[in-house]
Amino acid sequence: MQNRKRSGWGWFWQSVTGVALIGLLGLHMVAHHFVAAGGLRDYQQVIEYLSNPLIVVTEIAFLIVVTIHAMLGVRALLFDLGLTARAERMVTALVIGVGALTILFGFWLTYTVTMQGSMLTALLAP
Amino acid sequence: MNLYRPDLKRFRFLRWFDFRSWRLGMIAYILNRVTAIGLVLYLYIHLAVLTMLAQGPSSWDPFIRIARAPWFLALDVLLLAGMLIHGLNGLRIALTGFGIGVRGQKPLFVALMIVAAVALIAGALKIFAG
Repeated sequence: MQNRKRSGWGWFWQSVTGVALIGLLGLHMVAHHFVAAGGLRDYQQVIEYLSNPLIVVTEIAFLIVVTIHAMLGVRALLFDLGLTARAERMVTALVIGVGALTILFGFWLTYTVTMQGSMLTALLAP
Repeated sequence: MNLYRPDLKRFRFLRWFDFRSWRLGMIAYILNRVTAIGLVLYLYIHLAVLTMLAQGPSSWDPFIRIARAPWFLALDVLLLAGMLIHGLNGLRIALTGFGIGVRGQKPLFVALMIVAAVALIAGALKIFAG
């Protein structure tokens, strides 16, 4: 009961992010696998795709939501191992750290690729 | 430092491997967890692969040529299967967690898995058609 009480908020947010992911992941899969010519985007197509700010915002939202969902899932899986309260707190701190690093990495990657695209567009401009 | 609760002699996850308990509810639970592990692993592989984008077209485009090969597209179909099973089964879990459809969750699970199978076939055809 005590364990259920501790993981209650995790379950709620996992449900909320899970429902959000149905839309965000659906959009991501359609955009990358079902719309792009040849099934997957080459570098030029990725740059063109990311030149739309709305797409960048959507992809960032997808990154944040999927990371939170994944980390809460890992936490729930590890809690199933029958850990002590102290170990559960350690697991929570660990998934928060890994999740934050994952999101920061995604930000860096999106920024780097978007900037490369802007530079490429500026170079090719008449 | 003891990190395990002494009152738990068997870990709950060991039930995954106990075939005697593989009723529909347990199958749904195992499917949820197994697909979750696969999708978390995929997330990090995907991020690692995307790093090639930061190295420019000389790194990314040769990879895309490999990724368009039929054997690689089969991995995409496997990924789609994991997403559909986890997503639709997860939707059932979220609904029942909020008290919606609790009594009908077994037929709901079967119906959602049929939807997953149909969507997978359609998705696989689209992936291979290009």
